[in-house]
Amino acid sequence: MTTTLRLRGGRVIDPTNGVDAELRDVVVRDGRIVTLPPGEAATEEIDISGCIVMAGGIDMHTHIGGGKVNLARLLMPELQRAGPNPIALPSNPLELASCGGCTPGTLATGYRYVEMGYTAAFEPAMMACNARHTHMEMGDTPILDHGAYVMLGNDELFLEMLSRGADFQQIRDYVGWTINAAKAMGVKVVNPGGISAFKFNQRKLDVDENHVHWQVTPRQVVHTLAKALRELGVPHPLHIHGSNLGVAGNIQSTLETINALEGLPAHLTHVQFHAYGTEGPKKFSSAALQLAEAVNAHPNVSIDVGQIMFGQTVTASGDTMRQHAQSGLASPHKWIGADIECEAGCGVVPFRYRDQNFVNALQWAIGLEIFLLVNDPWRVVLTTDHPNGGPFTSYPHLIRLLTDRSFRAEQLAKLHPDVAANAALNSITRELSFYEIAIMTRAAPARLLGLTDRGHLGVGAAADISVYREDADREAMFTTPAYVFKDGTLVARAGRITAVSVGGTHFVAPDYDRGIETMLRKHHAAQGGVNFDQLAIGHDELCGCCNGGRLLPASCFETTS
Amino acid sequence: MSALKSSSGPVAAPWTCPFCPLLCDSFGVAAEDGSWVLTGSACGRARAGLSHFSAAVAPTAQPHIDGVACDVEAAIAAAARLLAASRQPLFGGLGTDVAGARALYALACRTGAVCDPAGGAALFHGLRALQDRGAFTTTLAEVRTRADLIVCVGSLPSERYPEFLRRCGVGEGGAVQVVLLQPMSAASADPAAEGVELVRFDGDLFDTVAMLAACVAGRAVGDAAGSLGALAARLHAARYAVLAYEPAQLPPQGALIIEAINRVVATLNQRSRAAALPLGGGDGASTVNAVFTWLSGLPLRTRAAPTGLEHEPLRFDANRLLADRAVDALLWIASFGTEPPPPIIDLPRIVLGHPRFAAAVQGAATVFIPVSTPGIGSAGHLFRTDGSVLMPLRALRGDDGLPTVANVLKRLTRALQGANA
Repeated sequence: MTTTLRLRGGRVIDPTNGVDAELRDVVVRDGRIVTLPPGEAATEEIDISGCIVMAGGIDMHTHIGGGKVNLARLLMPELQRAGPNPIALPSNPLELASCGGCTPGTLATGYRYVEMGYTAAFEPAMMACNARHTHMEMGDTPILDHGAYVMLGNDELFLEMLSRGADFQQIRDYVGWTINAAKAMGVKVVNPGGISAFKFNQRKLDVDENHVHWQVTPRQVVHTLAKALRELGVPHPLHIHGSNLGVAGNIQSTLETINALEGLPAHLTHVQFHAYGTEGPKKFSSAALQLAEAVNAHPNVSIDVGQIMFGQTVTASGDTMRQHAQSGLASPHKWIGADIECEAGCGVVPFRYRDQNFVNALQWAIGLEIFLLVNDPWRVVLTTDHPNGGPFTSYPHLIRLLTDRSFRAEQLAKLHPDVAANAALNSITRELSFYEIAIMTRAAPARLLGLTDRGHLGVGAAADISVYREDADREAMFTTPAYVFKDGTLVARAGRITAVSVGGTHFVAPDYDRGIETMLRKHHAAQGGVNFDQLAIGHDELCGCCNGGRLLPASCFETTS
Repeated sequence: MSALKSSSGPVAAPWTCPFCPLLCDSFGVAAEDGSWVLTGSACGRARAGLSHFSAAVAPTAQPHIDGVACDVEAAIAAAARLLAASRQPLFGGLGTDVAGARALYALACRTGAVCDPAGGAALFHGLRALQDRGAFTTTLAEVRTRADLIVCVGSLPSERYPEFLRRCGVGEGGAVQVVLLQPMSAASADPAAEGVELVRFDGDLFDTVAMLAACVAGRAVGDAAGSLGALAARLHAARYAVLAYEPAQLPPQGALIIEAINRVVATLNQRSRAAALPLGGGDGASTVNAVFTWLSGLPLRTRAAPTGLEHEPLRFDANRLLADRAVDALLWIASFGTEPPPPIIDLPRIVLGHPRFAAAVQGAATVFIPVSTPGIGSAGHLFRTDGSVLMPLRALRGDDGLPTVANVLKRLTRALQGANA
């Protein structure tokens, strides 16, 4: 007999379908949201009166797997101790031992996300040459669905094609081929051209500055990639980690990057790290207002914030150029960098954000200002750029900061006195509603990724559901949902994992002209490190990498070209 | 055909050689007179690896318990009994691929085993240097495309990795210079390979790298530096300098040498470009380490102890634990056939290995289960020496009739749960 589950008496918040805190039942059958035919009873009921019901959370930018994440774990074994003692083994027999914190094992990543009401997470920086490894780690992240964006725009082939003025169609087909080969959900560009430039000993690259060897600019790289994705019909537009991350005055680069798009859609990631001015005695100031105005004025642009949280973390980035420049600030004083396979790089720098440090305190304020100054929540996604701004486990705290003005003021008052006294955040009274939080944590990410049956609770949607018991302390409320369902199965109850499944893999498969393979084969024979015929991951192999989880290809949109 | 459909189709399958961490995939293998013959390379290491396999007949090896042949099921049950009776097992060898490592982690959690690979000392030279100070590394395609100066520190990798120079693009017409830096104290200089320049220093390897680091940093060392001053100048002038080293060739406390190499690279990167290239981690060592690290958050030499996940880079050295009799059972995995044979010790031993190791596992309290070799009898994945590329391995023959390590370990874990229930 098919079981039908009715969640009775909760207040449903489902922005995709315009539902705001309506008292209504949610019915689940065969892993999907359904309507119960008149006269039919559910086989099982759970009384969730006093609870808020949302779709499962979707984190669209979190470094959960792949080369640099594993390097961060190798670099920081000291984080995996509880003072002089080892981290205790799990008390739950369903869990295998796995450390948590800023460099969690994949197992702990899955358990902790799910306990917090999230049901999908996306690794934003997959190298094509490291794609198998990335899919393996995501496959070993239990319960969560997952996907990854493949990095382009620092690979020598792309830059060489751009430099010699190759036919745009060729570049577009190369992008299409790469997405297919790596089984990616989108494309990310990191410090456009800059990672490659660092290999040629260039230390800085502004948006209109030439790459010292290839003589192309980040503006060209960004525009070309954004256009290629548009023409390929990839639902998630170009995911951009802009130029000059962390540099005072980098708001200029960020605004120029938005201009480089010329109206093409794009997602600017961890914008907090890209919204700095040079005003004030310390020549470091918030440019959140300028950034928010630009986002408000450019409907083609979406962002995620990359909020920082005070305490120890590890920054793991593909941006070798900027991570090398920041490595002197490493705390503890050690770091890992790498030039990788003529296509990318990585930099892993441990970092401790201090609330009494002027710059760190201002970074904290800038992140919150961005959240609160951008008008359209559908274009803002809640992230800490885990683990770069802080671990994903701090999301409930962040939600409290955004929804509770007096709590926010209390926290701000404790920071470095110049920031506490002068931050523009002081004058912002906006409190985000549950409806807006639901947009920023599930509905908007699903829409920005092109996931039509996730991130909402409409009939036919996957039954990824989080049930939160209402609590004036929003942090407590969002830390421990009463119930979490993944594809209709109860996977966590009151902060304890109740079932461990294997998540599915989201990817896209855009059409492209396979004639491009002749050129790629020649290129890899001459300069690569791997046989061309090994590069593409087939479905069977992907399935093996992902531990047998379901393959979830997303549809591309129709293109006119 | 839609892209979704075409992306799901079978892909052409080059052979990846699983016998060294360069994981070359541009050679052919042909069956000739019952043997596997390498084509397109004279690599002695690949040939030696292939010589343990027949192209004509499937392996006939059988599992055995205490030297007496049995079926796999019985062998797994006996292995489960040995592990259930153990208070502190050691999992050694670790000659397996990603799938084997994934399955091994669950078993290690159940049993509280300490895990350390056959090349544990070498692996931890590199890992301890990384944990203490970090590193800046590069990969084979970068070296091939970019390097104009490769300094091999202490030893010439081609001795053990015959395709090393070719993979670095040496001989492709570029202007790359290769230098072997060795201390005078080295018993004998490696035989000079063609086109490799030898630079020697009067001291041991610790002195040599320390002096090189001082020279590169521009510290006043006067005449003591000898030829190292000139080498430092060349490193500074290089467009992209690579310092290659082999952790397995380093003496005890080799982490200090790696630290000095990393210091040289860090100093160079302040003004010009350089990177390190470690060579090692073969026979599954770096692969199992990577998998355990991602699953648990901690690398090998960790155990799920009653008090929690304990990572002990020194205390959990397999050789030390065996010498101190600090463990009471050994599970040894050696599926490639190129690993050291399982140690002969007076402890219950379970060996999942290439059939050639059967003879080394006889007598009381032993279980031997022959397993398939990734890249020969089954597909799999291994990490390349530079750690960034996870290479797919394809089977040379469809099915060799032997179970994979992963398959045996999953069944063993289930049997153990049954035994404990």
